[in-house]
Amino acid sequence: MAITEIIFWFLSALAVISAIMVVLSKSPVHSVLWLIAVFFAISGHYVLLNAQFIAIVNIIVYAGAIMVLFLFVLMLMNLNKETEPQKNLWMKLTGVVSGGCLLIILISLVRQATEIKGKIAVTKTGDIGLIKVLGKELFSSYVVPFEISSVLFLSAMIGAVVIGKKD
Amino acid sequence: MPERAELGVMNAIIFSALIGVVMMLGGIVIKSNAGIKLLAIILLFILLGSHLAEYYDLFNIHIQTHGMLAKSRFGMFFNTIIISLTLLYVLLSGDEIVKVGTYGAEYFALIFFSLCGATILSSYNNLLMLFLGVEIMTIPLFVLTSSEKKNLKSNEAGLKYFLMGSFSTGILLMGIALYYGGTGLFAIEASKAANEAQQAFRILLPLGLLFIFISLSFKVSAAPFHFWTPDVYDGAPSVFTSFMATIVKTAGFIAFIKLFELRSVDMGYSWKILLPLIIILTLLAGNITAVFQQSVKRMLAYSSIAHAGFMLFALYNPNDFGKQGIMLYTVAYSLATIGTFAVLTKMKDYTYEGYNGLAKTKPVLAATNTIFILSLAGIPLTAGFFAKYYMLASALKESTSNLWLVIVAVLFAAVSVYYYFRVIQAMYFKDGNAETTEIKPFFKTLLIIIAALIIVIGLMPSLLLDLFYA
Repeated sequence: MAITEIIFWFLSALAVISAIMVVLSKSPVHSVLWLIAVFFAISGHYVLLNAQFIAIVNIIVYAGAIMVLFLFVLMLMNLNKETEPQKNLWMKLTGVVSGGCLLIILISLVRQATEIKGKIAVTKTGDIGLIKVLGKELFSSYVVPFEISSVLFLSAMIGAVVIGKKD
Repeated sequence: MPERAELGVMNAIIFSALIGVVMMLGGIVIKSNAGIKLLAIILLFILLGSHLAEYYDLFNIHIQTHGMLAKSRFGMFFNTIIISLTLLYVLLSGDEIVKVGTYGAEYFALIFFSLCGATILSSYNNLLMLFLGVEIMTIPLFVLTSSEKKNLKSNEAGLKYFLMGSFSTGILLMGIALYYGGTGLFAIEASKAANEAQQAFRILLPLGLLFIFISLSFKVSAAPFHFWTPDVYDGAPSVFTSFMATIVKTAGFIAFIKLFELRSVDMGYSWKILLPLIIILTLLAGNITAVFQQSVKRMLAYSSIAHAGFMLFALYNPNDFGKQGIMLYTVAYSLATIGTFAVLTKMKDYTYEGYNGLAKTKPVLAATNTIFILSLAGIPLTAGFFAKYYMLASALKESTSNLWLVIVAVLFAAVSVYYYFRVIQAMYFKDGNAETTEIKPFFKTLLIIIAALIIVIGLMPSLLLDLFYA
């Protein structure tokens, strides 16, 4: 077993176990922490696929910013036994049905995906995920949306100041 | 102008963004409200001038857009309309805008950014630009909605709008992702080669389009995605409601038409069921609920939902007749709505009773407001009549089997007459002492000009439509 393969199996196991723990943990804070572990494992996979940029972004944005936001919300809500919302039977039933539907779709998708059967991921090759390539693409084909998004951020900033500042 | 489709960002996009920045920085230097308003008007004239310069091929900035934006006569003409409408809106309600809070210049800057989003929506050729356009257009609105900080209703409306808006944005992104899965492209035009390679995932395309349809329906407040509209329109400061209900809403429809004129075939048979269903629901929700309102502002919010139902007719036949129709509808509906809202902002009491006896105290306001309301109701001789006529005719032109839908729409239009005429009844036939804030002669003159425009377009819609082909 090559070292890449060992790392792959380790990361996969880590991701799956952490994901299960997210669902199983009683405390929401523990769930969030497990979720961070999932993101790190997935970022590891990205690195294996030579997609360094997305690996870093995944950690910065998801494991960093969004998870901190999650934690903040959880702590502000101050959840405990008394305030725990009562889940009635219908809620549970709808949860099971919708989750089950997703499961069916995923299973059927994997079963039908004959093209990828028996193939392993191409690791350590390909330059599509490299920052250099991405930057070139961003500043050639996608330069217009890239530049125009600055208007979006500017208006969001002005908005934050207008709303947030004291009169 | 297909040979220039690849080249050229519209002047309007660049200038509206730059002017927004100038406006924002102008707020540092200029402190007086009158000065800020004047600056905004001057900048709007510059924007209109730069856009017209491009329209008549005098001057435009060429940038390689890699097919992200496509210039079309339709989009250019629409831009002319919305920029002119914004100018009219600022001339009419500029005083009210700076009075909302302490950040007059920033409000104008946000309006310019929102306008920038609207101009992107009229020229996008790629779903990435659709996403950016929708976001640039709506994010300033969240802020404008909650700009009246001392007012709890305004805060509530802003938060509600923000939450619902981000939710619908999520759906839009999901739709775009599925669309990408189905076609392998972000471009809205069908490309044969890419499509064949993606035949296996073809099913994702209609699903993605459905998601985009839902999200855009939300943005133009079509039922059953309209529940945010009354609260937000009611809670927001009246001047900004006027902007939201006119320029922003019609830009949403342009985005709708641009995508679905090319792509509605991909939805297959479900499109034939979905569109009439949404139209009927929208007409029902808007018109019936409007009947029960006590506040004129809230009534106008529901009526704007009802008008969305009529504008959706343009999707039936978006090729030529529907496009002319949506142009006419944009002008007719926006002029009338900007007018009624301008009168509304001058009222002290927003209920129907507040309008009692307005004809005696302020005859000009009452008379012009009557014309706006007649136009909204679609009475002949006003622009609103031909706008509705074109919309319904476009559905009939598609196929005569749509006759039932047209009849339903006409019935709902008849219902709308009831709640619109309540305002006229209050102004002319009820005794009371309608109180208004101070009204300047300039304001009255503008109202008369708008009313005259509505009548002129109502008598000769060809005047406007000829410009479209000129």
